[in-house]
Amino acid sequence: MTGTLSLLRFLLRRERFGLPWWLLGASLLVLVQSTQSQSLYDTPEALARLRETIGGNSAVIAMSGPPRLLQSIGGEVVFEIFAFAAVVVALMNMFLVGRHTRADEESGRAELLRSARVGRHAPLAAALLLAGIADLAVGLLVVAVATGTGLPVAGSLLFGAALAATGLVFAALTAVATQVFENTRAAYGAVTLVLGAAYMLRAAGDVGDGTLSWASPIGWGQRAFPYAGDRWWPLLFPLATAVLLGAAAVRLLSRRDFGAGLVSPRPGRAGASAVLRNPSALAWRLQRGSLAGWAAGLGLLGVAYGSIGNSIEQYVRDNPEVAEFLPGGAADVLDSYLALTAVTAAVLAAAYGVSSVLRARAEETSGRAEAVLATATSRLSWLAGQLGVALAGSALTLVAYGLGVGVSYGLTVSDAGQVPRLVGVSLAYLPAVWLVVAAAVLALGWLPRLTAVLAWTVVAYCAVITLFADSFRLPAWSQQASPFAHTPEVPLDDPTITPLLTLTLTAAALVAAGYAGLRRRDIGA
Amino acid sequence: MTMSDAAAIDITALRKSFGAATALDGLDLRVAAGEVHGFLGPNGSGKTTTIRVLLGLLRADSGQVRMLGGDPWRDAVGLHRRLAYVPGDVTLWPGITGGEAIDLLGRLRGGLDRRRRDELLEEFDLDPRKKARTYSKGNRQKVALVAALASDAELLLLDEPTSGLDPLMESVFQRRIHEVKEQGRTVLLSSHILAEVEALCDRVSIIRLGRTVESGTLTELRHLTRTSIAVETTEAPRGIETLPGVHDLIVEDHHARFDVDTAQLGEVVRRLAPLGVRSMTSTPPTLEELFLRHYGDQERAAEKVAS
Repeated sequence: MTGTLSLLRFLLRRERFGLPWWLLGASLLVLVQSTQSQSLYDTPEALARLRETIGGNSAVIAMSGPPRLLQSIGGEVVFEIFAFAAVVVALMNMFLVGRHTRADEESGRAELLRSARVGRHAPLAAALLLAGIADLAVGLLVVAVATGTGLPVAGSLLFGAALAATGLVFAALTAVATQVFENTRAAYGAVTLVLGAAYMLRAAGDVGDGTLSWASPIGWGQRAFPYAGDRWWPLLFPLATAVLLGAAAVRLLSRRDFGAGLVSPRPGRAGASAVLRNPSALAWRLQRGSLAGWAAGLGLLGVAYGSIGNSIEQYVRDNPEVAEFLPGGAADVLDSYLALTAVTAAVLAAAYGVSSVLRARAEETSGRAEAVLATATSRLSWLAGQLGVALAGSALTLVAYGLGVGVSYGLTVSDAGQVPRLVGVSLAYLPAVWLVVAAAVLALGWLPRLTAVLAWTVVAYCAVITLFADSFRLPAWSQQASPFAHTPEVPLDDPTITPLLTLTLTAAALVAAGYAGLRRRDIGA
Repeated sequence: MTMSDAAAIDITALRKSFGAATALDGLDLRVAAGEVHGFLGPNGSGKTTTIRVLLGLLRADSGQVRMLGGDPWRDAVGLHRRLAYVPGDVTLWPGITGGEAIDLLGRLRGGLDRRRRDELLEEFDLDPRKKARTYSKGNRQKVALVAALASDAELLLLDEPTSGLDPLMESVFQRRIHEVKEQGRTVLLSSHILAEVEALCDRVSIIRLGRTVESGTLTELRHLTRTSIAVETTEAPRGIETLPGVHDLIVEDHHARFDVDTAQLGEVVRRLAPLGVRSMTSTPPTLEELFLRHYGDQERAAEKVAS
């Protein structure tokens, strides 16, 4: 353990820019939810109506948590946000522990550290302490935000503690996974899988008799019932699990060689398959995993959104304030809802497209593009390969979303025709998504170093305009700057071809301009 | 007869700067077809930048650059079919195996010799089934080397290709480069390993601060530097200091030690003969001295003071 504290100081320094964003994100989730819920359901009657509509809707319960939480307004906040916040905090813990244990070991940084006066267990201990400090900070921030927005102190303390305890479980779980797997990606994959399972188990449990929820770290936190009974004893489960997993990680670490895992990676192919022969095949091979992830995520989002489509009209009748957030108002609730959710999905599809273009930039800065461009591969075909995945991939994520909405909504209203209809609806936003992707390509061509900053700014801008323009009453010109504002709000509006064609042609022009820039600049600049 | 028959690479007065930093400041480089050309210079002297210009990855600010008879910037794709490149710092795709990367790079270049690929994997003792993320620097370099050597490219651009290899692999590399040379193909070899340069290169160019300071065969370059002489004579060795090209003379009784410009060696030996030479040793300049003379004037001066 020698050197743990010096290492911890060093880790805190390395995380001084990244960690605050995670903490800010988690606090913002609670802040937004708490203020929004308290303004929407400001009377006991409003809360009672909500209990009636939501309490009987298994889709919402599956997405959120046990309906017993809906007893009080604080409980309503926990109901809505706990599962999401737990996912955010779990991911924070996963990255904190993974980055400073296995990732350092893979890069060789840890070897340098271990050659100094640093004990075998010190890097792991320091990473776990770091995660513990981060979880404590999350807990305190949640308490501060919740009490600050007027929720009772006792429940807020339990809320913060439950979230922090959930985080600790995933920190310790990551510590085990980084001992088992030789590379960080595999460890992250395993932890994410457990996180997904934890979400699913508590969803199944909350919809059913609750038994399965007790098998889920997220379920443990929710079943402390902050503001709705305030039970502290369920937190013994996450704390005991964290201690056991942490001890297991230490045992495993003592038994393995530096740099090795307990599971050795399977050997791969000795030669390339016949398909891997051009830049497009390479780009597809490199990005298919993340594309599958995004498509699955958007598909699930579609299922979630679609499943409550049928009850949305009832919900808006009960909570007329919500109509303010819908582009079509109360008149055409269902179509407004479908349009708003489709735009939300489209902004996410644009985020996928941008992340894909940034992979091209990463190929360049890492020197891997150089190896390809030193072969008989032109810059055009290299870019076309990368961009093909971004463009086709963003279309695919939209189709996945449309299928998700269509199938789940179609099932609730027993109408198979909803599937093609809603796939069509979500594809109507494709030209706007492509325009965002094209803007990223333009930056790649002319301002390569700023590609990430510029492209993410565009996505963030579109997200803010799309989601908040009406509720924040932003000026009209600011909305016009977003490509999504130029897309007909199907199914609320009728689809018209002219704006879609204009968006597509503008996107094509930006891509061409980006390529012109790429063609004349230095590679690796 | 086209240019390419005479010179595989012909660079005149090449300039390239990155913002305020000048990387190449009027560099000249001529590599004849069929030769192995050593490309030497300290770190940061512009070797990699030159190779990247040759690959059309960087655009020259000014100067003439011809490679295999074409313009590396404009005719990049066509020229790349005829060359193979090993970067100094090989980065591979973490999730793709070494074997896949070799095949992919070969195919992108326009094909590779399957049999030779397998031979090379054996010789370099490289496991092609491992994902690139698990490879050490040396193994990543082997991947790039196998991909390059398994091609029939007429020009190989190698940027410090053996800096991560052990001596055994170094000898495999040298044998393969000899083979390439026998087949009449051209190699531009940037290297820090002097024994390798001495063993492989027909001609060398030494660059410093983005400029060529010396170019020629090793013999020619040796000629430009000094040979150390230790001589014992029957007569008192007087008058040596007046001989042309003699430096740093030390005389003790009948012993004399001095350095002489190699070009003047013959004349000096002739003038020593009348003194009655009992014994004489002459030490030709090593490649190290050749380098140090151009690379590190300061280090050399420091050494002189110390000795």
